[in-house]
Amino acid sequence: MTDWTCRQVILDLLIEYEDGTMPAADRADFERHVEMCPPCVRFLTTYRATGKTLKLLKLEEIPSDLAQSVLAFVRARAGRKA
Amino acid sequence: MKPDGVAAKAEPSDLDLVRGIKSGDGDAFEKMVQRYHARVYSLSYGVLRNAEDAEEATQDTFLTLYRKIGTFDETKKFFSWFYRVALNQAYSRARRRKPGTAVAIDDFLPKFSSDGHLASPELPDWSGSVEDEVIARELAGRAGEFIADLPAPYRDVIWMYDVEEMATSDIAETLRISIPALKSRLHRARLYVRQRLSEISKRPTQAEAR
Repeated sequence: MTDWTCRQVILDLLIEYEDGTMPAADRADFERHVEMCPPCVRFLTTYRATGKTLKLLKLEEIPSDLAQSVLAFVRARAGRKA
Repeated sequence: MKPDGVAAKAEPSDLDLVRGIKSGDGDAFEKMVQRYHARVYSLSYGVLRNAEDAEEATQDTFLTLYRKIGTFDETKKFFSWFYRVALNQAYSRARRRKPGTAVAIDDFLPKFSSDGHLASPELPDWSGSVEDEVIARELAGRAGEFIADLPAPYRDVIWMYDVEEMATSDIAETLRISIPALKSRLHRARLYVRQRLSEISKRPTQAEAR
């Protein structure tokens, strides 16, 4: 059993905890720290909210004529038929 | 429905199309545009935050593909090479528009006391805000601006992983970095964006609201 500090939890361990690559024993120690540390709870929830927010940046609408405009652009500049 | 006994024609692989383009096959180039224009546009838009710039960057990316396809090493994964071409086009355009604005990421990482505790324990918890779609989209827009201010090594990783949701191995190959380096950059970039979002999301605590 290891007593992690907030610094270790946030800077060194959080990414492995979140991506699921942290060993089980370390996960237990990580969760024990977070359960007893309200600032780390808030940090963890806002870290996750950050990831959720970033997924909204993915563009869903593409201009309908984009492929044609790309082809026309390249064909106009390429020395031969693209 | 296809008649019995007639096998569906398999879609050409990226490598098939690359070889076609190299040999001057216009159909192969058109198929490549159809296959990747949306991803290139999405990437460009994320960097440039502007539809017109994103479309021009997409056009430039495919022109570069057409002109530089001879330099592509066919033993490598095509998309990793092409994604790097697209990123370079987008960032080159972004630099021309807004040069020299990269932030010092260390200024936005969490601070700790000498005993390892968070130096600012009274952090606002704005995580509930993202449940509101309007607020979440506004935060996402700001996050995009914050990412655009990052130094390129961080910007590329967080964009590819968290926004484009590319596979870790594809990102590592595209950027030519190790998985541990990728994770380190990703985590620091997320910590930076989290901090910037926290700064603009300061809301009264329950105690203050009473």
